[in-house]
Amino acid sequence: MKYIKKVLGEDLRQYTMVVALAALIIIFNIASGGKMITSSNFQNLISGNAYVLVLALGMLMVIVIGQIDLSVGSVAGFASMVMAITARQFNLPWYVAILVALAIGMIAGAWQGFFLSRLGIPGFITTLGGMMIFRGGVIWISNSISVPVPSELKWFGAGYLPEWGPAFTGMNNSTLLLGMIAIVVYIIIQMKKYTHSGDVTGEKEVFWPFAVRIGIVAAVIGYVTWLFGSGRPGTSFPIPGLILVILIILYYLVTERTSFGRHVYAVGGNKSAAELSGVNVRRTYFLTMLNMSVLAAVAGILFVGRSTAAGPADGTSWEMDAIASVFIGGASVSGGVGTVIATMVGGLVMAVLNNGLMLMGVGADKTQVIKGFVLLAAVAFDVYNKKNRG
Amino acid sequence: MKAKKAVSLLMAAALAATMLTGCGGGRGTEEAAAPAETPADTPAAVEETAEGENTENTEPEKAAESSAAGGGIVGVALPWLGTQNWAEAEVMFKEQLEAAGYKAIIQAADQKVPQQQQQIESMIENGAQVIVVGPVDGSQLGSVLEKAKDAGVYVIGYDRLLENTTGVDGVVQFGSVKTGELQAQALLQGLKELKGEAPYNIELFGGGPADPNAPNFFTGAMSVLQPLIDDGTLVVVSGQTDFTQCATVDWDNSKAQSRMDAILAGNYSDIEIDGVLSPNDGIARAIITSCENAGQPIPVVSGLDAENESVEWVWSGRQYSTVAKPTDALVGQTVSIIDSLLSGNGMPATDVTANNGVIDVPIYELPPVVVTKDNAKEVFADDPDRMALLKD
Amino acid sequence: MSDGYILQMKNITKKFPGVKALSDVTLEVSEASIHAICGENGAGKSTLMKVLSGVYPYGSYDGEIFFQGKKMTFKNIKDSERTGIVIIHQELTMIPELSVTENIFMGNEIVEKGLINWEKERRRTRELLEKVGLHIDPNTIIKNLGVGQQQLVEIAKALSKNVKVLILDEPTSSLNEADSENLLRLMLELKEQGITCIMISHKLNEIAAVSDYVTVIRDGKTVDGYAVEAGRVDENKIIKAMVGREIENRYPEHTPKIGEVIFEVSDWRVEDAKVPGKMLCKDSAFYVRAGEIVGFAGLMGAGRTELMRSLFGKSMGTFRGGKMKIGGREVRINSVREAIKNRIAYVPEDRKGLGLNLLDTIRKTVVSANLDVIKTKGLLDFDKERAASEKYRNSLKIKCRDVGVGVNTLSGGNQQKVVLSKWMFTEPDILILDEPTRGIDVGAKYEIYKLIHQLADQGKAIILVSSELPELLGMADRIYTIFEGKITGEISAKEADQEMLMKKMTTTA
Repeated sequence: MKYIKKVLGEDLRQYTMVVALAALIIIFNIASGGKMITSSNFQNLISGNAYVLVLALGMLMVIVIGQIDLSVGSVAGFASMVMAITARQFNLPWYVAILVALAIGMIAGAWQGFFLSRLGIPGFITTLGGMMIFRGGVIWISNSISVPVPSELKWFGAGYLPEWGPAFTGMNNSTLLLGMIAIVVYIIIQMKKYTHSGDVTGEKEVFWPFAVRIGIVAAVIGYVTWLFGSGRPGTSFPIPGLILVILIILYYLVTERTSFGRHVYAVGGNKSAAELSGVNVRRTYFLTMLNMSVLAAVAGILFVGRSTAAGPADGTSWEMDAIASVFIGGASVSGGVGTVIATMVGGLVMAVLNNGLMLMGVGADKTQVIKGFVLLAAVAFDVYNKKNRG
Repeated sequence: MKAKKAVSLLMAAALAATMLTGCGGGRGTEEAAAPAETPADTPAAVEETAEGENTENTEPEKAAESSAAGGGIVGVALPWLGTQNWAEAEVMFKEQLEAAGYKAIIQAADQKVPQQQQQIESMIENGAQVIVVGPVDGSQLGSVLEKAKDAGVYVIGYDRLLENTTGVDGVVQFGSVKTGELQAQALLQGLKELKGEAPYNIELFGGGPADPNAPNFFTGAMSVLQPLIDDGTLVVVSGQTDFTQCATVDWDNSKAQSRMDAILAGNYSDIEIDGVLSPNDGIARAIITSCENAGQPIPVVSGLDAENESVEWVWSGRQYSTVAKPTDALVGQTVSIIDSLLSGNGMPATDVTANNGVIDVPIYELPPVVVTKDNAKEVFADDPDRMALLKD
Repeated sequence: MSDGYILQMKNITKKFPGVKALSDVTLEVSEASIHAICGENGAGKSTLMKVLSGVYPYGSYDGEIFFQGKKMTFKNIKDSERTGIVIIHQELTMIPELSVTENIFMGNEIVEKGLINWEKERRRTRELLEKVGLHIDPNTIIKNLGVGQQQLVEIAKALSKNVKVLILDEPTSSLNEADSENLLRLMLELKEQGITCIMISHKLNEIAAVSDYVTVIRDGKTVDGYAVEAGRVDENKIIKAMVGREIENRYPEHTPKIGEVIFEVSDWRVEDAKVPGKMLCKDSAFYVRAGEIVGFAGLMGAGRTELMRSLFGKSMGTFRGGKMKIGGREVRINSVREAIKNRIAYVPEDRKGLGLNLLDTIRKTVVSANLDVIKTKGLLDFDKERAASEKYRNSLKIKCRDVGVGVNTLSGGNQQKVVLSKWMFTEPDILILDEPTRGIDVGAKYEIYKLIHQLADQGKAIILVSSELPELLGMADRIYTIFEGKITGEISAKEADQEMLMKKMTTTA
């Protein structure tokens, strides 16, 4: 146990969800006769859920700041519908269409941020209004008819990395390259940490835990790379997955390494104290809501890319999946608590459940019931843990 | 701290992974291609040849031959089970596919597009050789169906056209324009029968705009009604004759009822309504209820689907007509195509095609049947469930 | 056993983590009397009443409570209310959107056959209102009543519960003169009807006017008791008892090195944002020199905190005018951020509510008011963060396992050190400390005093707000007194004594 703690850090409880996720994957793999852990299923898993995870990234910050955003699904649907319609009717190139969608997300976010930060209307109500407004907007502008999007967008929702280079690797070389970059970057980070470990305390840490960590992480990244890269030729780590990974890194940095991120946690943890520490609370609220809606637009783009058309019902109840991911990831309803990585694990738990139950042929009805229980169990477990700690 | 967290996340996955390589089964490197696996899914099948396509297309057929003895795997993705025709389809597919010796994976998507996309993917994962798709939204399955195509799976659209994708091999449906014509003709027949001399006051309702059939129904109906509207035989009192004006979002009965309430309140305070074109039975009943609540005499109303309740209403005279699209016929036609595919004979020939925005899709059309009180007993002669409703 | 006492609290001791709030307190209250309890802020009066009313349940304190001679073991407020002990808190607890009737019977509804009998409730309400001398419609919505009337409704509510002992916690603190008098008269009437009142107050004139006996509590102990005869009480004696601890060597030696005036405020006026017309600060003017520790003495609600927070980026009340000069230059500061930029720091009195995010770790808290300093290439640098927090951990002797632990795991004293670190990290020239030692044990207090001296020696201007007079006398170089939003006096600490300060804090000159 002492050695495990050396490698993983003091607080082992934070890994419960990771362990649960791994257990789920294993159980489903056995139950479905090995259909869970295959290249194509993992590709499906990522490209089919990337949009929810993108939403969850924004929702995490909204929940940490002590608010909730019910409008994300509708905003996603609205942004992507506007994108589809402008691209089709005005014959705009796809990249302009994407910019249009992002702009719509920004406007929607500014609108909701305004009501929350300037007028002080709680996010629940602001975004409940937004949910109706933007849902109605989608149906209105589309006449309830799905609109196909430019075929280039498919790349964002269901595309793969290019094939190139030598064939002897037996896998998609783009994926292989990404995997290798990831391992190298991780090694650099760990080595830097090791060499700087004595700077403050004057007490250099021992090297072996770093080595073990590097070994394990390299093995995992290696395996995942192989899993994604060795599918049918032409397939690789999916593009929506790559976009997601980039966003995860970006939002990890935003939440952990920027003043803005700190301010979000500060406002969510104790608004009055944050105010007296010089945090511009209104601005923080505003930017958080703005950011959420922009991410909703991104999610919408990923989704219609995969669907090849924007539909009038796109985004219905997506907010619930995003919110569930954040709470399974251990965020607190009263705000101030939650991390990007844990939220992603929470989202993956939901995704794996969905995927695994489908592979086993369980109907949507029962899947829904099971997901509900898992949400309750995860949060109950978290609350129980916190009580025992305090 | 946080970085460590990320790391350890990956690490736990690593633990999982090492355990998994053990139970991953025969799937390993290319050389160890496992013949036991479903052919469409093994990389080995693809690695063999650069053209890929050929191999993939023949693979299911090979498997299909063996299926004559052992049965193939057929996926059926339905939009939901919330209306009678879909609930029936689920039961009938199960019965007929299993009777034919296939393994059936039937899933309903609760009217959610992402759910249906993932269900279709899981069917591919489960080695389905044919996937029958009754889409939630016919145009939003593009990349998923193409994935199925790439995996060598046949895709058959069921009841609705699959648009905006190359990944569809054929669509089985009732002629939707024809259905609309039949609805309109039944409406006219009823007006003459029950409402005396022309002109007749009527209103028009369309189906859910997201369903590609809905505009077709409306077009078919209007091809019959428009000339009579023009010559004054029929009067659309509200003046709403465009499909977008008349459409009922999501085929939602309650929305139709609200619209009817509004029309009656606004236009029929001093006149009587004689007939209403309704695209299906649920909407028809909503319309009739609305008229009853407004104190209007029951108008002549068309319908579609021959839902149990409407069959009763037709029998008792509350709803003038419905159109039966016998689900068993549609399922039967679909299963016969599956038989043909899995016995290596490919898609049966048909001369009807429809452009889905990307390609011309072969269409297998079935004729619908108008049901009124007069012919109900003949139409449902082979349907004991519905016959039971026709009691005197 | 009861000896004419309706209530006896014997040897009550109540501990909180790190502090002993009450130690061996004994209180004996005669039947049908008005018994006053007085003491400084934080002396333990409210804690004692919470013990009595069951807010702190039996078992969470040591000692015994006897009511009419019987030992009581209250588990909650309901228990004590059933016995006839009702407490009326300083902050009123009624629901503003509901009617008088609904509030009076809240949780105690007259239910017949599963339904509330409104008629009966209203009739009964009218009777009760009559008793407290309120002639209003029982259907009146609470928020439409004045504070004085609300107070009377609270008492009516207590009467509805067949109250025998009524506890009033600083009942007149939010009332105007007329309402106060009215209330005091009502207390006398209740006494006539045989109801015992316990009144917590430090307004000596009120105590003299109505009460029969005064118990003085200081530092969680009963120090003295006086019978009040014919409306007369020796005020000086009570004041001495309230503040009269020996000033031992509880404050470190310090020779001030006072320089130029660096902070100057004139005509500062602030209006209550919620109550239009009510001024929180009335033309306040004062100055602080470099290296000087200036004390602000005032009772709770006198406007000390309001003034300080208004100076700190106008973070409280509505600013109505005034000038501020820093280093001789006039500055206009409109936000906390600007205040920090102008090198003002404010350590709030409510540590948990305003000073800390209890979800954060020590290291995150220390840097939280000055994040720009720990950035490398635009991103927060955890090494710098760690270095900063380790620096304060060592210099302030913050006792913790690691700077990565949550601040909620620390004791009050260590939490306060973390808050001080956070503000020292902003490198202020003017440091406002609002009750910096509240709820902190003696040892930690001493360390914080030493720290304050160090900061002053670095040439910082220090404003020390405190309701503990000995602390001000021991620490400050100069003291201002505040009463009802007005600065009522300025005294050099050498010349000041507690009685003098107390007088200026409780009266307008």
